[in-house]
Amino acid sequence: MPLSLSDPNWYPIASSEDLPFRHVYQGQLLGRELAVWRADDGNVNVWENRCLHRGVRLSIGINEGQELKCQYHGWRYANQSAGCTYIPAHPADAPARRIENRKYPVKEAYGLIWSSANDEKPFVPFPGAVGEDWFALRPMPVNAAPGDVVAGLARLAPDDQPADLLPGMTVRLGDVVYFVQPIDAGRAVIRGLLPRTPTDELATLRHYNEQLTRLRDRLERAAAKKPAPEPLQPIYEKVSADLATMPDIAVPRGNTLNVVVKRKWQSADGVIGFELADRDGSHLPTFQPGAHIDVHLPNGLVRQYSITNGPGDLLSYVIGVKQESASKGGSKVLVETVREGDVLAISEPRNNFPLRRDATRTVLIAGGIGITPLLSMARFLDKSSLPYELHYFTRNGESVAFKSELDVLHGAVHIHTGLARDAIQGTINQVLGPHQFANHVYICGPGAMLEMVQETASGLGWPDEAVHFEYFQNDKTIDASSAFDIELARSAMTLHVPAGHTILEVMREAGLSVPSSCEQGACGTCLTTVMEGEVDHQDVYLNKSEKASNTCMMTCVSRAKSARLVLDI
Amino acid sequence: MAITLYDFELSGNCYKLRLLMSILGLPYDIVPVDFFPGREHKADWFLRLNAFGQLPVLKDDDLVLSDSGAILAYLAKKYDASGQWFPNDPAITAEILRWHAVADDITSTSSAARLALGYDYAFDIEKSQNGAHRIFRLIDEHLWFGEREGRDWLCSPSHPTTADIACFPYVMLSEEGGISRQDYPALRRWTDRVRRIPGFTVMSGIFPAGPAKVD
Repeated sequence: MPLSLSDPNWYPIASSEDLPFRHVYQGQLLGRELAVWRADDGNVNVWENRCLHRGVRLSIGINEGQELKCQYHGWRYANQSAGCTYIPAHPADAPARRIENRKYPVKEAYGLIWSSANDEKPFVPFPGAVGEDWFALRPMPVNAAPGDVVAGLARLAPDDQPADLLPGMTVRLGDVVYFVQPIDAGRAVIRGLLPRTPTDELATLRHYNEQLTRLRDRLERAAAKKPAPEPLQPIYEKVSADLATMPDIAVPRGNTLNVVVKRKWQSADGVIGFELADRDGSHLPTFQPGAHIDVHLPNGLVRQYSITNGPGDLLSYVIGVKQESASKGGSKVLVETVREGDVLAISEPRNNFPLRRDATRTVLIAGGIGITPLLSMARFLDKSSLPYELHYFTRNGESVAFKSELDVLHGAVHIHTGLARDAIQGTINQVLGPHQFANHVYICGPGAMLEMVQETASGLGWPDEAVHFEYFQNDKTIDASSAFDIELARSAMTLHVPAGHTILEVMREAGLSVPSSCEQGACGTCLTTVMEGEVDHQDVYLNKSEKASNTCMMTCVSRAKSARLVLDI
Repeated sequence: MAITLYDFELSGNCYKLRLLMSILGLPYDIVPVDFFPGREHKADWFLRLNAFGQLPVLKDDDLVLSDSGAILAYLAKKYDASGQWFPNDPAITAEILRWHAVADDITSTSSAARLALGYDYAFDIEKSQNGAHRIFRLIDEHLWFGEREGRDWLCSPSHPTTADIACFPYVMLSEEGGISRQDYPALRRWTDRVRRIPGFTVMSGIFPAGPAKVD
C-alpha cells in the first residue's frame, strides 16, 4: 500500500534516550523533516524542521533548555507553544507572540517518542502495551520501502510461530514488538521493544542489533534491484499569515481567555502569588520577558500584572499581587475574594517592556512588587547564560517575594533590605556606574524610585534609550481641562475632544477600535504616532527624549497643547 | 617555540590542527595557502615543504611536518601536559591510530563528496556519498553502544583523544557533500559533546553547540 502524506496513524519517531537535555534530534515522518527536542522540564517538542524566518533547519539550532534558538539569525522559539520569543534584528521590539512554528502531535510512551502527521487521531497504546515495562532496542534505519520492511520483519518468524501483523506497520514476533517508522517512500526505521529489561542488557541489545543488521542488509540488497520509489512530496504549506506576521497594531479589545486559579499563596509579607493555568491543561500563549496580562476582576475592574515565568514555561502564568493596605479595589478583590479553583478572564500577554539580549551588561533594578517583570527577565537571561545583575530593594527581609525562584538563579542577585532613600540612591549610583557601550538598565518599582533611578542614570551619562522602565501606575494628577481637535489621518476623520474626555474615549465613541490597557498612561498599549501638533504628555510610559520628540503619545491620558493634533490612526 | 600552520581556511584537515591547538591554548602563526581555486598546494614552493602536495603542513621551529593525523599526534605528545589527548599506553595508542585511519577514510569519502559538489573536483559523488554512509553507520553503532557502556568518545578513555578531533570535521561538514546525518543519532550526539570541549573553536560550516545543562 503506498504511503499517504495524510496518514493519521501515530508512529514512533525516536527513542526516549535519543533526546538528552540540550540536544536537537533530527527526525522524519512520511517525508516531513522534524526537529525534535526535550526541554529542561522534560517536555518533548516535535516541530517542522525549519525556521520561519529563512527556512534553515532547526535541527542544527541550539536547545537552550526552554527555548530553541535558530543557528542562522538567532530567532528563538518557546518550549510547548513553538511561539517566537525573540528576534535579534529587532531587539527593542517585542516580537509578535503570534509568530509560531508548525508543531506535530507528540507522546512519550514505552521508551519511544511518538508522533503523527496530523491531529486526526488521538494516541492509543498498541495492543498489549499496557502493563509491561518496555525496553527499546537500538533503532535500525533501512533504505527500503516501509511496506517491504514490514514484510521482511514478518519473515523473521519461525514457521511454527507466525508473526502477528498489527495495524500501523507493527509486527509482533513472540515477545518482541517491532514498529516500522515510515520515513519516506524508500526509507524506514525499525524500532523494536522488549516487554521488559533483559538481565544482560548489552548482550541482548547486541543480539537484536546483529539480527536487524542482517535483515537490513538483505532488504537493502533487494531494494537496490528494484526501481527506487518516488519520494513523498510533502507540501510545506506557508504558516498562516496570522501565525507568521506581526499582528496589527489594533489588537481587538476584549480578546480574553479563561484561566483557572491553580494556586494562591503568600509569597512574602504583602505579596500574594497566583498561578493561572488553562482549564484543560494545555499551554498558554507565548510571552516575552517583561510582558503583562490584563486580569479581569470579578468587580468589573481590569488590572495589569507582569508574568514572572521563565522561557518556554507556558503551562501556567505566575503573577505577584501586592496586598495593599489602602487598595483601591483592584488588587484587594484579587487578594481577598479570588480563591483557588476560581476562573478568571485574562488578556493574551502583551509586552511594553521588552528586554534586549545583545547587551554587554544588563542591570535589573526592582523595588517591592516591581520584582515581577524583572524576575522573568532574569530567568530568560539566566537560561541563555547571558550576564546580568539583579538588585531587589525591599522594605525588610519578610517582604522578599519569590525567594525560592531567586535562589536558583545563577546570575548576581543582590537583595537590599530596609535601606533609607539616601542609601538606596547611593547603592544605585554605585551599581550603575558610568555608562558604557551596550549597557542597559531595567527598572520597575514605585514611581519615586523610578524617577530616582532615571535621574541617577542620566547624571552618570546613561542615554535615555539605555534606561528601560515600567511603572505600576501613573500617580500624577491628570489635567483634562484642555479642549482640542484631533485629525485621524488614516481614518479620514476629525473629532473634537472636549475637556473632561480623553482622546481614547472620543475615538471609541466615534466607532474606532483602538487598543488600550491600563488607561492611566502607564502600560504603553495605546501608543500612537503623532504627525502634527504639540502634545501635552501626562503619561509615565514615554521617556524624556521620546516625549521631547513630539512624535508619539499615549491617547488614554495625554492631550494637546496646540489646537489640533494629527494622529496616525 | 614558533609554530606555523600552512592553512586553508575551508579545509577540515587544517581545521583539525586549529581545533587541537585552540584546545591546548597553543599560539601559532598562519600562512594561508590558496588550495581553491589557486591550487597553491601544488606550487613548487609548497611541494618543497610537502612533496605529497597536501595540506596541512606544520612547522615547529625548523621541523616540518605533514599529514593531519601525524601532526595531531605530534602536537599532543609534545604540548599536552595532561597526556590525555594521545596517551602513552600502547593499547590506547593503537586504538587512536585505528581511528586516525577511519578519519582518513572519512576524508576520502565525505570530504571527497564535498570537494566534488562545492569545489569542482571530478570525484564520483554517489560513490563518495555511499562510502561515507557506510562509515557513519559503523561509527553510529560504535557510539550508540558506547553510550550504553558509559563511553562518550571514540576511544576507551573517559576523555576525548586526537581520534575524536581527527574524525570530527568531515563528519560535521558532510552535509556540504550531500550526506545527511539524520540516520545517525548517536553520531549527532557525539558531535554535541565534541563541540562542548573547553577551547573548542569553529570553522565555516561548523556551528557551536549551546552549553550543556547545569544542575
